[in-house]
Amino acid sequence: MSFLTPIALPTVLTAAAVIAALAVVAYILKMRRRRFEVPFSTLWQRVLREKETTSLFKRLRRLLSLLLQLAVLALLIVAILDPRLGEDDRDARSVVIIVDASASMKAVDERPGGSISRAPIPGSEAEGAAAEAAVAGDDGASSDAADDSAADDSDDDETRIPRIEAAKSRARELLDSMGGGDMAMVVRMDGQTTPLSRFDSDMALLKRTVAGIQATDTPADLARALRAAADALRGRPNPMIVVIGDGAYPDAVLERIALGDPGASNQGADDQTDAAQTSARSDGDAPDRANTDNNRGAARPDPNATSQRLDAIDLRGIALHFVPVGQDDQNVGIVAFNARRYLTDKTSYAVFVEVQNFGDEPAARRLIVYSGDNPIDVKTVVLKPGERLRQLYPNLGGGEDNRLRAELKPLDDSATATTNPGESPSPPGPAAAETTTAGTNSATPAAEASAANEARRGDVFALDDRAFALLPARKRQKVLLVTLDNLYLEGAMLVYDSIQVDKLTPDEYEQALGGDLLSEYSAVVFDDYTPAELPPPPTHLIYFGPTGEHSPFPIRETIPAPRVTDVDDSHPVMRWVILDDVNYDQSAVFQLDRAAGEVALGSYVRAPIIAAKRAGQQKIVAFGFSLGGTDLTLRVAFPLLLVNALDWFAGDDADLITTYQTGRRFRVPLDGVYDINEVDVALPSGRRTRAPVSDGHASFYGHTIGVHRLSARTDDGGQALATIELAANLANPAESDIAPTAALRVGDAVLTPPPGFRVTVRRSLWLYLVLAVLAILAVEWITYHRRITV
Amino acid sequence: MPSLPEDDRSELFDEAFLKKLEYLHVVSRKIFTGGQRAERRMRKVGSGIEFADHRRYTWGDDFRYIDWNVYGRVDKLLLRLFEEEEDLHIYLLLDASRSMLIGDPLKLHYAMQVSAALAYVGLASLDRVAILPFSDRLHGRLPPARGKNRIFKVFEFLRNVEVGGDTDLAACVEKFVHQNKRRGLVVLLSDFYDPRGFEEALNTLRYNKFDPFVLQVFDRKEAEPSLHGDLALVDCETGEIKEVTISRSLLDAYTREHEKFCGELRDFCTARAVPYFRTHTRVAFDDLILRIFRTGGFLR
Repeated sequence: MSFLTPIALPTVLTAAAVIAALAVVAYILKMRRRRFEVPFSTLWQRVLREKETTSLFKRLRRLLSLLLQLAVLALLIVAILDPRLGEDDRDARSVVIIVDASASMKAVDERPGGSISRAPIPGSEAEGAAAEAAVAGDDGASSDAADDSAADDSDDDETRIPRIEAAKSRARELLDSMGGGDMAMVVRMDGQTTPLSRFDSDMALLKRTVAGIQATDTPADLARALRAAADALRGRPNPMIVVIGDGAYPDAVLERIALGDPGASNQGADDQTDAAQTSARSDGDAPDRANTDNNRGAARPDPNATSQRLDAIDLRGIALHFVPVGQDDQNVGIVAFNARRYLTDKTSYAVFVEVQNFGDEPAARRLIVYSGDNPIDVKTVVLKPGERLRQLYPNLGGGEDNRLRAELKPLDDSATATTNPGESPSPPGPAAAETTTAGTNSATPAAEASAANEARRGDVFALDDRAFALLPARKRQKVLLVTLDNLYLEGAMLVYDSIQVDKLTPDEYEQALGGDLLSEYSAVVFDDYTPAELPPPPTHLIYFGPTGEHSPFPIRETIPAPRVTDVDDSHPVMRWVILDDVNYDQSAVFQLDRAAGEVALGSYVRAPIIAAKRAGQQKIVAFGFSLGGTDLTLRVAFPLLLVNALDWFAGDDADLITTYQTGRRFRVPLDGVYDINEVDVALPSGRRTRAPVSDGHASFYGHTIGVHRLSARTDDGGQALATIELAANLANPAESDIAPTAALRVGDAVLTPPPGFRVTVRRSLWLYLVLAVLAILAVEWITYHRRITV
Repeated sequence: MPSLPEDDRSELFDEAFLKKLEYLHVVSRKIFTGGQRAERRMRKVGSGIEFADHRRYTWGDDFRYIDWNVYGRVDKLLLRLFEEEEDLHIYLLLDASRSMLIGDPLKLHYAMQVSAALAYVGLASLDRVAILPFSDRLHGRLPPARGKNRIFKVFEFLRNVEVGGDTDLAACVEKFVHQNKRRGLVVLLSDFYDPRGFEEALNTLRYNKFDPFVLQVFDRKEAEPSLHGDLALVDCETGEIKEVTISRSLLDAYTREHEKFCGELRDFCTARAVPYFRTHTRVAFDDLILRIFRTGGFLR
């Protein structure tokens, strides 16, 4: 028997002594009795005289009552110390079960009813057969193993279950095999590491926790999960980590794992752990000892080489096991997908798709690119094993939708090539004529035949068969020039074909203020004119040479012959703009309120002469100099500045919108919106959430692939200031490589499934002690009220 | 010494009570048909007119009562004895000790009502009725009176009886016999809770030619107390404290002891031909009186 002593022993003993003393004092002290008047106490005396013959027994009974109280106290103290019956604690293990819930665990290739014991062990016959089958597949020859494989492939897909379900089944099996003394903790591993429980011996609770795990669209971060597990196991007896997954982890992470005995540098507490471990394993747990020796032995030739790396994952002293899941390794996935508009022709765009065959067999797929729901290109791609195909679609046009989607479909799925689930079929667009593209390596006839077979079946991992991209919004703008004939300005406007330009003199502008004319314009350019009254938002404004109190930015001073020494080229307006050798006769210097989101785009030393800001829905760019006093109008930078400013106004501030990768924290610029604390995020699933905003960027963790829509609203939740969309894809070759790993290799060590847990009968006794206390109290209560013990 | 419990006697002898007394009187007349006034006869030599017996002449006897006819026939001096008819004296000795202030209703009140009832019957029968409350001493006395119109004086006396003190039967009876030379019926109404015993008191009465009549009053909770827990039992007269933890067996033992105590009193009276009645306060007093009448002993 052992005691867990959840409360320090001296504390318990002190409390017990105090309570026992109180009980004894209460026993010694006479309780004040209720007075009752009787007419003739002589009769009572006679009765009591007879009773006093048994007074010795009575005293004994009272003593028995005290002893019962002390016994109750003793039992309670022992219960508090949490005694355990059975095996010594040193036999009990502390196990962290890491369940891989990454994207690859969504592959549907497992059969129901698999078990840990059936997992192939390196060097075993099963692995040999699997290896033979793989070799036979490469050679294109038939063998028994290949036949078996084919037979397996012919199984009805409906009988397959996702890998994550198999992993959960393995985890439950593992928990079932644990003994009463073992403590386990469940950790979910995807792009983040989430402990789902504390160390607990309540296996039923842990199994319920395991049942709630769902795979996400994020890649596995094995390093973070192992570090978290090692931290949780620090100081615990017989530490063990069991990773249940498909082994789709980067080799770079596995190389950083340091196994073996604790080094001299971190002896101490670990020594104790290791001593306990050694002791526990020397009393008959032969398989576990062998396995541990295997791990240690494997790492022993150079145990400190890995651990000396700065980024090492130090698992020395911890038994690391791996339980593989997954059966199929055939997968073709989209690993990159992006689109961009041409700078010179914003009606056209180019699309880049990268597809890779991660299987060991040739594969053929139909690659369809959609604009919105309309297919704009259909291509059959044939890939050799491991081949990566980069496909560029130049000069695509048509389709006003800025959402693009690429999909890989089986060849025999032509009926659904143009149809998404739940959508009505639509005919392919003119650009959707089907072509066949072979990989860069010429395919052999046998490979093509195999690819055809495989293509009909499709692969088991659907998540990377879809990818999303967004084109910058293309918006035709009406621009009003308020100027007294400036040919430079009007000429520069001609280079931009997405705008319609009108011109008014300042007098005409003031007359037009009363009507609805100005509200039709997306942007107004004020040339050497600073009006007192402005068109209402969302009309955006450009000022050249603003003056007076109505300047969009307060004018601090006017400086002669400035030069632009600092350019904020991160701002969309200043993209590709060089102002180094531009001359100005003079310029106003703006007084900027940076806290309000006002930014200096161009400065002379520290004097801002070009500034921009966003006020609600209205964006404003101001140039402190007049176009008449500079040679900027003769430079390439001038039309570029105008185009950039108008693109920024239209929300089209990039020719390429970044496609985000799931499993990372998205940091999304909010188009100049500064004065809000959070944004609404509509996830691809339709669920809505909120993300904090800091420095004009919203940040949130990307869980799912698809198009996310961010809405920046005023803090009172009313007016929408900006709406930003972003596309997130898996785009992770390591996750798309779903080939299951039977046994992970760490250095020379092979991580195997954990041996069967010896069931240790180690029962907690506190409940029985409390029941005994209750029984004693019940007996005391009954005997007291029956006047037996009084 | 514990304080006295509430002893309100204002409603004790009301109109209804008086009606009950009248009823009891009527009933008593029916039970004892042919009863005459002062018909209780005392065997007393010489003073009566009805011949009762002879006895030998001794020195000092009044030789006027020598039966000379008998002397002429048998040559022996025999004295003629006559039964003298005289008024009966009824003494009601009422226990007014502190222990009588226990019970529901109070034993004292019950005893007073019984006393009043017996007094009424006695007064109505033209007996001379006297009431003497006592505890460890005699608390005054209602002098012997006759005629039922004196019942109101009885009520008045009983209302004003002083209560308190320990019970000392022997001392009080001793004092009583010294103060009252006219023999008669002595009704002793008490709970007989005297630590010194009741035997001496009853014997004193008997030795002094009084006819004792014992009427023991108790409260039912005295016989069968429903106590529980740890108690300090306080004797209401002596103030003596006894700590007990009440158990079922203790209660049973006490009940047996109380029954034994009452049995001792009953056996003592029975052995000496002393009428003995025992009642608890839940029995209606008129029922008790009727039982007494039926059994006999109070009126002959």
